[in-house]
Amino acid sequence: MNVVVAIKKVVDTSEAADVVEVDAAGKDISKAGLVSRLNDWDGYALEEGLRWREKLGGTATALTVGPRDWDDVLRTALAMGADAAVRVDEDAASMDCRSVARILATAIGKLPHDLVLFGAQSEDFGSAQLGPMVAQMLGLPHATLVVGLDVNDDRVHVSREIEGGARELYTLTLPALLTIQTGLNRPRYVSFSRIKRAREKEIGVTTLHELGLSSADLVPSVTLERLELTPAGRRAMLISGNPEEAAGALATLLKESGVI
Amino acid sequence: MSLADYRYRDLIHRCFRCGYCKFPTSYLDVNNCPAYARYRLESYSTGGRLWLIRAWLNDEMEWTDHLAEIVFSCATCKNCTEQCPLPFSQDIVNMIVAARCEMVERGLMPAAVQQFLENVQRHGNPYGAPRSKRAEWFQGTDVEQYDGQEYLYYVGCVGSYDTRARETARTLAHVLKRGGVSFGVLGDRESCDGNDVAKLGEEGLFESLAEENIEQFKELGVTKVVTLSPHAYNAMRNDYPSLNGTFEVFHYTQLLNELIKKGTLDLSRGFDARVTYHDPCFLGRWNGEYEAPRAALRAVPGIELVEMERSRADTLCCGGGGGNFYTDFLGGSEDSPARIRIRQARDSGAQVVAVACPNCMTMLEDAAKAERLDESLSIRDVSEIVASALE
Amino acid sequence: MGDILVVAEHRGGQLAAVSLEMLSKGRELANHCGGQVAAVVIGKDADRYARRLAQHADTVVVVDHHGLEDSPAEPSQRVLSSIVSERKPKLVLMGHTSFAMDLAPALAVELGAALATDCLDVSARDGVFRVTTAPYNGKVRAVYAFAPSDIIIVTGRAGSFPVEQAQGQGDIEVLEYDVEQDGQRKVFEGYVEPEASDVDIAQAKVVVSVGRGIKDSDKLELAEELASALGGVVACSRPIVDYGWLPAGRQVGQSGKTVTPKLYVALGISGAFQHVVGLTGAKMIVAVNKDPHAPIFGVADYGIVGDLFEVVPALTQKVRELKA
Repeated sequence: MNVVVAIKKVVDTSEAADVVEVDAAGKDISKAGLVSRLNDWDGYALEEGLRWREKLGGTATALTVGPRDWDDVLRTALAMGADAAVRVDEDAASMDCRSVARILATAIGKLPHDLVLFGAQSEDFGSAQLGPMVAQMLGLPHATLVVGLDVNDDRVHVSREIEGGARELYTLTLPALLTIQTGLNRPRYVSFSRIKRAREKEIGVTTLHELGLSSADLVPSVTLERLELTPAGRRAMLISGNPEEAAGALATLLKESGVI
Repeated sequence: MSLADYRYRDLIHRCFRCGYCKFPTSYLDVNNCPAYARYRLESYSTGGRLWLIRAWLNDEMEWTDHLAEIVFSCATCKNCTEQCPLPFSQDIVNMIVAARCEMVERGLMPAAVQQFLENVQRHGNPYGAPRSKRAEWFQGTDVEQYDGQEYLYYVGCVGSYDTRARETARTLAHVLKRGGVSFGVLGDRESCDGNDVAKLGEEGLFESLAEENIEQFKELGVTKVVTLSPHAYNAMRNDYPSLNGTFEVFHYTQLLNELIKKGTLDLSRGFDARVTYHDPCFLGRWNGEYEAPRAALRAVPGIELVEMERSRADTLCCGGGGGNFYTDFLGGSEDSPARIRIRQARDSGAQVVAVACPNCMTMLEDAAKAERLDESLSIRDVSEIVASALE
Repeated sequence: MGDILVVAEHRGGQLAAVSLEMLSKGRELANHCGGQVAAVVIGKDADRYARRLAQHADTVVVVDHHGLEDSPAEPSQRVLSSIVSERKPKLVLMGHTSFAMDLAPALAVELGAALATDCLDVSARDGVFRVTTAPYNGKVRAVYAFAPSDIIIVTGRAGSFPVEQAQGQGDIEVLEYDVEQDGQRKVFEGYVEPEASDVDIAQAKVVVSVGRGIKDSDKLELAEELASALGGVVACSRPIVDYGWLPAGRQVGQSGKTVTPKLYVALGISGAFQHVVGLTGAKMIVAVNKDPHAPIFGVADYGIVGDLFEVVPALTQKVRELKA
């Protein structure tokens, strides 16, 4: 079975919350001093794709659309065990999702694919649009927010997460596209020596031109006008003081309002 | 991998589980190996672990999360090395580390270890904190960036990020200044020293960290390094030379002791307390330095230095070694080594426990709170005691 | 400015609250810029929701679809694509739900429509539609503008748009679509309902909830102690369940439970919308987080910016003292 996993690189803001700033152009956050890495959701998608490839044979290809310094997330994928890595050499940061989906769909169309996996969303803009868009462009059945899957001959049984802790079950005929939710596996640790060995491996680089795409195929339908920091504590009354004092003041407030 | 490829294949079968690693003197004293003290199961002692490792390498048992947790719960404190009567005693902890290397290479490890290593890979520290915050601890002080001073003051991850350890890092900087030492720090250019990364079995990452540090030290013209943490001291003194990084490395207690001997620190204000000193494993057993911190404490007027029943080569680890200060496989019980240790400190009659390692500091402070001994027993770093005594 | 079409969702005989929110927003936009508001509801016996929807909408289109009880994305996409192609609304609104996440991007591609997802606001001024989203887990706000010519599809975040009182009586049209599943390439097999949990967080009066900021499963004790001092239970955000530190039944949020306690304490929870959407029924929300920009402070009543490992033990202590 041939698996393609679409991945992206994001800046890690999980621990750096209080140092996030908007950049001078007002179109993205300032990435200086922040570490970039594989999108969290994509790690789960890669792990799942690799497990099925290891079980059923075939190839696993990691795919991204990004500038040259995105090669490192492809190398992570290779170090995890992907057989091949392809990068469409294009900085897609300012493109809308439909254009990026168009590029990915074209690239996936040229790769052997029985199972196409995406992370359910990205950690940065998190719009969760790419997977289903690509599925529609390629005419593949799809399911999003997948928290369990089982490949069986030419079918994949999936469990997708819906509201309130419930799940929806579907059976899709391969080739199919799934977007993967966190938590359905534990992405493997990639040791430094594996990463080093992956540096020797080749990354297939292709261009929009080679894919037969031109700017006419990539007309944006929605444009980012500006980005601004979320105002701090817009609603909450913030209690100040050292931990002891703040805790004391809060406990008193809770008592006064009758909740304790 | 099979046993045939294992680095210690010719040695590991020679442990016949005599039990000296857990009961060196008396069957009544279970508190020798920190992991054994915590779990009281043979599998958590070094001998038991070696048998399990051998079985795993021989395909006689499956890898499981539980096996991994047992293998990674060793604090690499080397107490067993001291107690083991067999000729390969110096290698028994290395045998465990070598098994961890195998697990890491195959991506088989407890989640907490994975998180530790991923954080170090990405951020250069186990907390996953941004590199930019590595310089926060000395903001607003007169500590300078390293620029050709005599010493590089290497603070390490715990000293740079942990709230309590930052205080110690600042206090030590203050004491060094008062002692007229010419030093600078790397601030946000500093990265993990890799000691615990190596002990967790990530050799490739350790080498990469060490090589980057060595390259940076050389570029900056560093010849002498003074470390806050015994962990960094151990890596830089024992492991960096084989990677072409030979520097004069000091643990800060050694430097303080020299300054005191030379009389450059005036300690006449004194420190009136009964103090006991807790040996950090990576200063004591790993590097044989038991005397410098004690000499520094003895030099402070007013200190009555008392020893715990277990001290020097026989000390009980706080349980924070080998990455356990972060992964915490030994916590959560009154049999946690830090809590046993703090009770031993109480029994010595001391009012203050002097520590010389930021990991021990946080482990023992938490343990003192858990034991409700934090009012009668305070945990102070040797540098903090010296600072209080400065006139 | 053209008409607005709102896609209403339902499951288990319940109309989704977010559908009424989006309908209210649609009504507001239409009042402001002109145009009609239509609501579409798809599924077997979907007519039971028609009158409720007609209070807000000028027209309600009921697609009584015999294949399925509820409204999974497949085959709603084909129904909607044919309705949108026929009626040509300018704007299609739906909640940003698991249903819409499956459906909206595929529908947008099929129709050649422009799409924005997970929006906190939608506006129309001088012929330009704009939306606001919350990228980077809510740390920033982004404003997007749509090109004027396209059909626009917007999915809106639950809880972002208040439901207005409305007493309208729109027309109700019932359409019969008897759609086969798509060549059997995607077959709906049914639902799995959540397992009963050890502790029922949905009924608890006090909920102490932990997020990624707790760092370590052993530190859950801090939350347990605070919960016990407050007489409540411990719940969590999604990562804690992903890590396996608490069972899925303790999760609050979109894919977890909705809670309605008199006090909700959020410890080390940044306040991603997927979490916050589960606590709209909480009477009082208190948050402890080291990041003053954490979105949780946007929904909390009281907040402490600080290290939870220091604040929580102190708070537990003070609560015990005050209760004693």
